[in-house]
Amino acid sequence: MKQRTLTAAAMAAALALAGCGSAAQPDSDSGGSEDKLVVWDWKSGDENAVSYIELAKADFAEKHPDVEVEFVAQPFDQYYNLLGTAIQSGEGPDVMMFNGGGQLRDRTDALLPLDDYIAEDRERLAGWEAFSADGTAYAAPVTLQGHPIYYNKDLYEQAGLDPEAPAATWDDLADDCGAVTEETGANCFAQGNKEGYGIQFWLSGLGSGVLTDAEYEAWIAGDRDWSAPGVKRVFELWQESGDAGLFNDGANSTAMFNDMFAVFEAGEAAHVIGLMSDVGHWKDFSEFLGAENVGVMEAPLVNPESAPSLPYDGGIGYGAAEWTADPELAADLVRSLTSTAALEAFYADAGAIASDTTIDASDAGPAASAIVSRIPDGEPALHVALSSETLELMGRLSQQLLSGSVTVDEALDQLAESDQAG
Amino acid sequence: MLVAPAVLIIAGLRLYPLALGVNFSFTGDGDRNGQAVGLDNYAVLLDDPLFREAMGNVWLLVLLLPVAVAIPGMLATFIYLRVPGHRFYRSVYFFPAVLSPVIVGAIFNLLLAYDGTVNTVLGAIGLGPVDWLGDPDVAMFAVVGVHVWATFGMALVVFLAGFSTLDSALIDAARIDGASLSQVIRHVIVPGLSRTIQFVFVTTMIGMLTSMFGLLYVMTGGGPEGSTYLPEYYIWIQQGQMNRPALASAASTVLFGVMLVVGLAQIAVLRRAGRED
Repeated sequence: MKQRTLTAAAMAAALALAGCGSAAQPDSDSGGSEDKLVVWDWKSGDENAVSYIELAKADFAEKHPDVEVEFVAQPFDQYYNLLGTAIQSGEGPDVMMFNGGGQLRDRTDALLPLDDYIAEDRERLAGWEAFSADGTAYAAPVTLQGHPIYYNKDLYEQAGLDPEAPAATWDDLADDCGAVTEETGANCFAQGNKEGYGIQFWLSGLGSGVLTDAEYEAWIAGDRDWSAPGVKRVFELWQESGDAGLFNDGANSTAMFNDMFAVFEAGEAAHVIGLMSDVGHWKDFSEFLGAENVGVMEAPLVNPESAPSLPYDGGIGYGAAEWTADPELAADLVRSLTSTAALEAFYADAGAIASDTTIDASDAGPAASAIVSRIPDGEPALHVALSSETLELMGRLSQQLLSGSVTVDEALDQLAESDQAG
Repeated sequence: MLVAPAVLIIAGLRLYPLALGVNFSFTGDGDRNGQAVGLDNYAVLLDDPLFREAMGNVWLLVLLLPVAVAIPGMLATFIYLRVPGHRFYRSVYFFPAVLSPVIVGAIFNLLLAYDGTVNTVLGAIGLGPVDWLGDPDVAMFAVVGVHVWATFGMALVVFLAGFSTLDSALIDAARIDGASLSQVIRHVIVPGLSRTIQFVFVTTMIGMLTSMFGLLYVMTGGGPEGSTYLPEYYIWIQQGQMNRPALASAASTVLFGVMLVVGLAQIAVLRRAGRED
């Protein structure tokens, strides 16, 4: 009995000591040190990112041969929870991946301002805005992410429409959809709003055809008028499209990733507002429908005074932690991760539209070329400018709009309140 | 001295973090990180329709508890009364209990999808499709239903164990006296199993309040329209997705308070049940 008590006491003492130990050396658990950098992301484990990571590592090893780099691939659906916990404790990776927009802007306190290190890359890479807050860059873009409207040329042909001349106005699009649905039974839009993402793509995909240039710029600059007629029109179109059956049935219970894209890939919907990189993009669609059947169209004009453009931002990028031991070293790794050779490999293997504007995309098929050709005139996507709280609220309200339990005006009031609070 | 290790472990690994968490809930997020903000976080919670929805759903779970207990109770009764094929049913009923919530959720995502199997079957017999996971009035019941399906096997086993202590002579006597099946259940089986039933009530309640997260995460993600939020899910979203750890701490503290009340009530019930014998 005495023996057992002693063992238990010893264990308790050991636990207490272990606790004291880590408290005494706050740095001992942090990611890296002078000769080792730890990177967190959700990409480095992917098969199609292998050569990208290899080339980035090689580029960095050339500059710093004696520094070890360790990539830790985290599951994406828990990534920001894990990162949030790491930031809260002030201990974590030296370099970390971010989605452009709200997730990064919410956490700039924990990030190293990169402006002093990336001056040479400014011109070569596109998509900086999504990784900047108040004019300071906190991460460097790896891919570009945007929301082109894809259409199924095969369905257009079956419906007797010209597959090379998609509708330029909303009214024409509605007519075309009527023809497609009558001839083929396919819906107008594949829609997946289970997570509340459908409305985000809708806002950004159609926004440039509804808002005027001035309204668009003001929105991006943070001067957002939720009661403006253009903004209201986007949400009305959402509700009307749901009511009129332009979406597939059960949009609120269809997951965007990847059931919505599956609807489009199966030829059950004529259009989808998709992505440019990663998933739900031209490369995925081409595999199912054939590259020759995947078209990309401009946002249909709702307001004759607006000028449709491709909505895109920096998609994913790497930033450095504010607590890293040697900021210059971490910034150098970020630069290696955005070097031309590495990004070229990422583009070729993963079908991501890379942030590097010097990469030639002319041989990747008509849809990819159409997207790349619109990049120079593209604008930041409308929803990326919103905080994650407002986006979450918008997701819920958009589901209510589809089920009819809230009006557009009520929804916009709530969104305005949330946007101003944030 | 003898209890010192246990006390140390509980104090160091349970009570101290708990106190830290409660303390943290009185600080701010974002720009006000680390500053004392008093009860602001709790005011935000009270004001947040999503949190109120989550707490409302806790009460919904409490209201659905009798159903969740009655189902395994009835099925165990039938097995005990040796309906034809009772051995087969006993193993089939227990089978879902060995599946993880994520797998169960994924299976039912396919079955309950708008164009899924359940709606196809309903369509074949002329009933309109139901948007099981997309209709805010239906989704919570669909998820609870799946949870009950996935976990009732364990309660069934407990009931069967309870039955084994039941004196079969009583049932035989009741039958000879001409009692019908429902009379046997009401006057012989239920009184004989009162302790088992109370125990199943307590464990099912704990199960519902603590292990729905996986199902919610996979099946609805809190939606549609926030109708399937539970406090755990709310805490997870605020901490990770919204980057508001202090608010999440406040929500955790509220949830802790609720669980404390529920737990004490359950202990009281169990004590009373123990005294009856």
